[in-house]
Amino acid sequence: MKSLFAGLLVAAFLLLPWQPAHAEKIGQTPFPSTIRVAIRENNASGEPDSRGRIVYVLTLNFEEYMRGVLPNEWLASWKPESLKAGAIAVKMFGWYHHLHPVTIDNFTFDVDDTVNFQAFRRYTDQLATNRAIIATRSLAYVPPNGDIVELNYRAGYANSPNWQYRNAQKMAQWGSQYWAEKGRTYLQILEFYYQNRTVRTIPGV
Amino acid sequence: MKHAFSSPLSVALGSVTVAAGLLIAASTAMAGSHSSVPATAEMRTMTQSAAPAPKSTQGNSEGAAVIYQPSRSKFSKDLPFAKLQVTVIDGRTRQPLSGAEVVIAETEGRYRTGADGNTPAFDAPVIRNPRFQTTISELHGQLTAIVYKDSYHDSIHFGIRMHPGTESHTTVWMYKLIPGDRIEPVEYHVPIHRLWLIQLADRYRSPSQPGEGPERPD
Repeated sequence: MKSLFAGLLVAAFLLLPWQPAHAEKIGQTPFPSTIRVAIRENNASGEPDSRGRIVYVLTLNFEEYMRGVLPNEWLASWKPESLKAGAIAVKMFGWYHHLHPVTIDNFTFDVDDTVNFQAFRRYTDQLATNRAIIATRSLAYVPPNGDIVELNYRAGYANSPNWQYRNAQKMAQWGSQYWAEKGRTYLQILEFYYQNRTVRTIPGV
Repeated sequence: MKHAFSSPLSVALGSVTVAAGLLIAASTAMAGSHSSVPATAEMRTMTQSAAPAPKSTQGNSEGAAVIYQPSRSKFSKDLPFAKLQVTVIDGRTRQPLSGAEVVIAETEGRYRTGADGNTPAFDAPVIRNPRFQTTISELHGQLTAIVYKDSYHDSIHFGIRMHPGTESHTTVWMYKLIPGDRIEPVEYHVPIHRLWLIQLADRYRSPSQPGEGPERPD
């Protein structure tokens, strides 16, 4: 009886989903090397459909994913500090969703290639956005306790600081350009939109 | 009764349960792995290696050439120019294609790709669609590339984003001809940047039909 009970305890311990309390904190969870991107089908006219059928899941190098997102979310002609702020937001968004995959129609993935997550198009790198990604490669922007959190963002309005986005704790993409044009650094831009966060170095990156 | 399970049978049952638990845990861990996964029909995933990143000087650019670069005097002096580099790849293998010729329709400039599939970075105009100048000016220019490579369908890439003040890049995917194929250029329209689409939609939104509503944080 004791042997059977012990065996059941061990099996239960191994089978139940178990994560240490610190599993999703900077420094305690590894930076992703890859990310799973669900590719959605266009409609029969060839028009994009953000709820189109998932055709397949592409496992990509994580940085390649970022290089295919940033130029399609930010404008490559924007100021470097705006692009760096965007690079960090794109990274943290992708990292958070890599830690929280979803399963739809028997496909398990981290993000899809539409604005449901972040607009992604493969091989659309631009020099200016690649530079921003490289410049901020080893940096994360997290709460003081180090939790990996999603940094969300929206378009916002041109030529405006977009205070309403600060209140919503979302970065205004146009706002990042506004502040960069005013001479703010990418850290100051992030601090404006996402309060009570801090920049941390990602170990091993 | 209290000794009913303290027998060799109970030890065996316990051992089997532990072994089963270990096996199940191991397979669960493998399925949940985020490392590169071989593509299988069951998993319906694809693992891809990175394509060459755009750079003005990239790996082996041997053979890349400017065949014809039009003089700036052909264009209005108010027309802004920036650099553009085109990468040409095989759409199936995603390997770079050397020796492809890229023609920019708006300038008639002609360029050849090198061993790394890249043209040299060349001067190209930032042409915003004049149709929208009185409505809401586009955030980037657009150009058209016609790409030729022997044994491949011709490829025509519309709407290549030209960003002022920085180097722009585009990748053209080409597809091998198969015996029996008819002459059919491959057409692709680069999507206009979403930030301009949002501006355009907001420009004509009315209270009578707000659609998805104005751009906002929530």
